[in-house]
Amino acid sequence: MGPEPTPEGIHIRGLSHEYVRGDESVEALRDVALEIPAGQFVSLVGASGCGKTTLLDILSGLLDVQTGAVRLAGRPPRAGRRDTARMFARDALLPWKSAFANVDFALATRVGDAAERASQVERLLESVGLGEFKQALPSELSQGMRQRVALARTFSLRSRFIMLDEPFGALDALTKINLQDRLVELWEQVSASTVVLVTHDLAEAAALSDRVIVMSPRPGRIVADVAIGLPRPRNVRALHATDGFQKLVAGLWETLDSAS
Amino acid sequence: MRRFITLRGFTMKERLTLAGGRLLLIGLWGAAWEVAAASGALPRGLIGQPSEFLLDFFKLVVDGTFPAAALITLEAVFIAFVLGAILALLTALLMTAFPMAERLAAPIIDALNALPRVALIPLFILWFGIGTEQKVASGVSIMYFVLLSYTMAGAKSTDPDHLRLARSLAIPGWRTFLEIIVPSALPAIFAGLRLGMIYTVLGVITAELIAGGKGLGTLVSYYSNTFNPNGVFATLIALVLITIALTATMSRIERSIAKWHAPIAV
Repeated sequence: MGPEPTPEGIHIRGLSHEYVRGDESVEALRDVALEIPAGQFVSLVGASGCGKTTLLDILSGLLDVQTGAVRLAGRPPRAGRRDTARMFARDALLPWKSAFANVDFALATRVGDAAERASQVERLLESVGLGEFKQALPSELSQGMRQRVALARTFSLRSRFIMLDEPFGALDALTKINLQDRLVELWEQVSASTVVLVTHDLAEAAALSDRVIVMSPRPGRIVADVAIGLPRPRNVRALHATDGFQKLVAGLWETLDSAS
Repeated sequence: MRRFITLRGFTMKERLTLAGGRLLLIGLWGAAWEVAAASGALPRGLIGQPSEFLLDFFKLVVDGTFPAAALITLEAVFIAFVLGAILALLTALLMTAFPMAERLAAPIIDALNALPRVALIPLFILWFGIGTEQKVASGVSIMYFVLLSYTMAGAKSTDPDHLRLARSLAIPGWRTFLEIIVPSALPAIFAGLRLGMIYTVLGVITAELIAGGKGLGTLVSYYSNTFNPNGVFATLIALVLITIALTATMSRIERSIAKWHAPIAV
């Protein structure tokens, strides 16, 4: 028996997953067990192909559970659950909709009143620093700005569970830290949700999370569960300048190295 | 709002240089042709002479021959284009909504599309006579397949992340279709419409060449049969201008609707 299931958080037990194509099958996850209490910010790290995105897709309900048990607030995951929001690796903005309309498109699934929605969308876009770009099409925005729109869209849903798949993977270092700070702000102020972040960036995982889960290469298993005791509210840029933070990241590297 | 790139990525100067270069190219070609024909280096009675067929072109425009013939051709082109487009879009709608239907029909459609449509024209004449209907049938038989294949390719090019986003937001299937799949396919649909327009003209002209009547295609075959290459070239100029005007109109409509996307070249 593992630890007691957390009724309001995320409960995973005995989760295995296999991709089958023709006669071949690839084991992506093996016997994963994880308890994430409500309100915790957890990062999944590991080499590419360690199954971390598979795990996130299962939690988002985009992949079916094959073996094992998964519960979000006591219920199995399902795509389209109103208490779950998903952010994609590439921004997944609809190119024919403005920044405003992209956020509005998602929020419309939660808020019926258009005027109420408009004021919420405007506030969110301003909070990610895009107040002046409301009417811009994604093609008129930089990659960093597009990810900020995607961030606003994800947080507009005020979901209990937020699944982030390498949201800043394609960004340069400066833009990345800037956006990590926006994410921390949104999470700490706008909604205290349970967040699962998939990333291959250990500094990102350490700076943002309460806990870093290290996964082994295929088949993905959990090999380390590291608590990050840094106080909140956090400032990612300031954290990077401290020795303690650099040591923490170095420690995560060692854990990851010994896992593979 | 500041635009980050100029239209189509070219500056005004580059666009003027390109236009000038093209004019020069056409001018040089025309001059060489003129010299070859006038000097008798090549048989004038077969290749025509630019100065003469340009003059013929203006004469035939002014005396009303071309406008009258163009109107007849364009009537068939317009009907075939609209009819073919509606049929193709309806078929694509069915195939996207029911993937089983697509799997069932795809090889049959490919086989029909591989058929040389010109070979069907005698059949169309048999069925519809030599009037507008057979020209429309010939145009539709090409337009339909061009637009259908472009539309299907467009629908399949929908970004999988957009579909996953729709699923994660619990957007109903019909809204996903209208708000995600259709806009994703629009650039390809427009490319299909532009190319389809050119091919519809081709289909109608071919039908006129074979069946006669009063359109521009009939004029081509008439001038050719009366050993008048200048008349043929004058008619070809009219056809080129009409096709350019039609596709330019399509591009204009495309730019006003699908602003977010650079047009797909065809």
